Amino acid sequence: MYGWHLKILRINLTTRKVTTEDVDPKIARDYLGGRGWAIHYLYKEMDPAVDPLSPENMLIFATGPLTATPAPTGNRYMVVTKSPLTGALAHSNSGGDFPTWMKRTGFDMYIFEGKASEPVYLWVNEDQVEVRSAAHVWGKEVPETTDILKAETHPEARVACIGPAGENLALMAAIMNDKNRAAARSGVGAVMGSKNLKAVVAMGNKNPPLFNPDAMRDISVDTSKNVGVDIKKGSNLRIYGTAYVPQVTNTLGILPTRNFLQGTFEHTDKVDGVALKEQYLIKNVPCYRCPISCGRLTEVPDGPYKGKGEGPEYETISSLGTGCGVSNLAALTKANYLCNEYGMDTITTGMTIAAAMEMYEKGYIPEDVIGMPLRFGDHDAMIAMIHKMARREGFGNDLAEGSYRLCEKYGHPEIAVTARKQEFPGYDPRGSQGMGLLYATSNKGASHMEGDVAYEEVFGVPVKENPLTTEGKPELVKHFEDSFALIDSSGLCVFLAIRYVFSKERMVWPVRLAEMMNLTTGAGYTPEEVLKAAERVYNLERMFLIKAGSGPEHDTLPHRMLHEPLPDGPAKGKVVELDKMLPEFYKLRGWDEKGYPTKEKLEELGLPVS
Amino acid sequence: MMIHIKMIGNYRDHLPPGAKNGMIEIEVPDGTTIYDAISRFGIPLDDSSVIVLNGLTVDMNTPLQEGDVVTAFSAIAGG
Repeated sequence: MYGWHLKILRINLTTRKVTTEDVDPKIARDYLGGRGWAIHYLYKEMDPAVDPLSPENMLIFATGPLTATPAPTGNRYMVVTKSPLTGALAHSNSGGDFPTWMKRTGFDMYIFEGKASEPVYLWVNEDQVEVRSAAHVWGKEVPETTDILKAETHPEARVACIGPAGENLALMAAIMNDKNRAAARSGVGAVMGSKNLKAVVAMGNKNPPLFNPDAMRDISVDTSKNVGVDIKKGSNLRIYGTAYVPQVTNTLGILPTRNFLQGTFEHTDKVDGVALKEQYLIKNVPCYRCPISCGRLTEVPDGPYKGKGEGPEYETISSLGTGCGVSNLAALTKANYLCNEYGMDTITTGMTIAAAMEMYEKGYIPEDVIGMPLRFGDHDAMIAMIHKMARREGFGNDLAEGSYRLCEKYGHPEIAVTARKQEFPGYDPRGSQGMGLLYATSNKGASHMEGDVAYEEVFGVPVKENPLTTEGKPELVKHFEDSFALIDSSGLCVFLAIRYVFSKERMVWPVRLAEMMNLTTGAGYTPEEVLKAAERVYNLERMFLIKAGSGPEHDTLPHRMLHEPLPDGPAKGKVVELDKMLPEFYKLRGWDEKGYPTKEKLEELGLPVS
Repeated sequence: MMIHIKMIGNYRDHLPPGAKNGMIEIEVPDGTTIYDAISRFGIPLDDSSVIVLNGLTVDMNTPLQEGDVVTAFSAIAGG
C-alpha cells in the first residue's frame, strides 16, 4: 500500500510498553486516515462513557494520507480523544512542522493509553522509541520545554507539548506544536496532562511511498500555481492573515462583542489586520509546504505588553479582543502570546473571561471572589485572568472549568454562550443561521471547523449565500460537515482545500482531493466514495456521542441565541431559527425524527448497528 | 445623494486619498446601483469578490439610497 504507512505506534503509559501494529488496508480505505482512523479505533476500543481525565481515556495523534506528501498544506494532524470540556468527542487539528515530522517516523498514528506514574515524554526517532522522564520540564512553559527537548534529542526534531495549563488540567488546555501552533479546542491538553505526558518529540526520514509520484508532483505544482494566481491578485490571507476577518464580520453584524451581547464592535479598526500589520507584524510564517502563508510572526517591541510570538489570528481577536470588549491591540497580542506559552485555546479562554466579565457587571460574581474588578474592556484584568486560569489560582480555578461550568456555579447558566459546553467561535449565528445549525449539531460542540458554512454565508466561497435565511441551510451544513470530515481525515488544511481541491459543482465537490488521494494511496476512490467515507466517519462520531451521553438532546443552542435578538447591526432583531432547520437536517442525515441514526443509514455506511 | 463606500483588506488600495479607515463618502446621482457605485474604483472584481449593502446580501443592481454603505472585500478562504 502507498500513502499510508499502515503502521500504528501504541504507547501504554501505565506499563511504558510500546508496541507497533499494522492497519487493515480495508479499514484504511474505508476510514480515509487522520480523524477517520482515529474514531474507528476510539469507538472500537474504548467505552465512550469513560471519565475523560481518567487513564481509561485514549489519546490519539493521527496524520492523514496526504500528510508528508508533496500536496500543498499536506501537513496537518488531528488529536482525537474524549473531551473533558464537552464530554463529547474532541478532534482538534494543527499544522506547523510537527505533523510531517511525525509521519516521517514511519507511523501514521500514535495511540496513548493509561497514565504514567510520573511526568514523561515520548521520543520517536523512527524505530527508536523511548518513554523518557519529563521531570525536568514539568511546570515549564511551551517555548522553554520545546527548546530543552530538542536540545536533548535532536536539533532537527519537532515537538508537540503541553504547558502549565495542560498540567493543571485546565479544560481549555491545548497541545502546542512547534511552539506556536495549536491543536487547541476541547481540552485535549488536559487529557495529555492527565496522563502525565508532557511532550511528544518526532524525527525521521520515512516519507510514505506514493502510488504515482510523478503525477502527484504535477498536480501539487499545479495546485500551488493556482494559489499563486490568487496571491498575485492580492490575497488577504497572505497580506493580513486571518486578522482581516473582523472587518468582514463587523460589517455583517456577527462579530462576537462583549460575550455576544452585541454583534458589532465600535473599535474594530484598532484590532484588525491592518492595525496589526502596521504596528506589530515582523513577517509571515508558513506551515511546512504551505503556499498560502497566513501565519504571522509579531512583536510588541516595548511597554508593558512587550513580547514576541505568533498571532493574533481572527479567532483570538474575536474572543480575547472584541468578545471581552478589549480594543488595546498590544494587550490583546500579549494575551495571545501568554495563551501560547501556557498552552491554552484562545477561544475558550477569551469567551470564558467574557462570560465572567458579564457576570461581574451584572453583579452575579462579587469583586472579592474575583480579586479585582472585571469589566468589559479592561485589558489588564483580562491578562490577569489568563495567568490565574492557567495556574488554577484563586478565581482562576473556576475559570479553568470553562464558561458553562463557571456560569452554572454562580447561578446564571444563561450567560454561557456554549454548545455541548464548548464556547462559540467568532461568528454570531443569529446573523449566520447555518452556523447556528452547525454549532448545535457539531460532534465536538460549538466549532467553526466542524463544517464551516461561513465560507458561503460570510465569505462567498465558493458562492455567497444569504446568512440571514434558513432555506437550504440543512443541506449546506450536512454537506460541509461531511466535507470537513474528509479534509480532516486527508491531512490537508481547509484554507487550501475548499477553494483549490474542491470544485464548485454540488456546493463543493472533492474532485481534485479524490485525485490526490488516489495518486498518493492507489485506493481508486471516486469523489462520491471519499465523501461517503467522510459521512461514515461523521456518523460513527455521532454514535460515539450518543454512547458518551452527549446525544441528540444536546443538539441545541444557549438561551441568548434562541431568545435574545441581536440588538444592533444588519442582523438586528434576529435569533437562530433552529427549529426551522433541525428536523430537515435529521432527515437529510438519514436519522430518525429524534436525531438517532437509523438502522438503514448505519447499514448503508457499513457501521455497527448496536 | 451621499453614500459611503467601505473597502476591506487589499481592496483599500483602490480608495482615493481622503479615505479614513477604509471608508469614504461620495456623491452619486439618483438611480445609481451598487454595481455602478463600486465599478468606479477599479477593483478587479472576480469570483472572490463579495459586495454587501448595509451588511446585507442583495442584488448588485439594487438602486442605492441616501446614506447607504456599500462594502467590498475579497475572500479566498475563511478565518
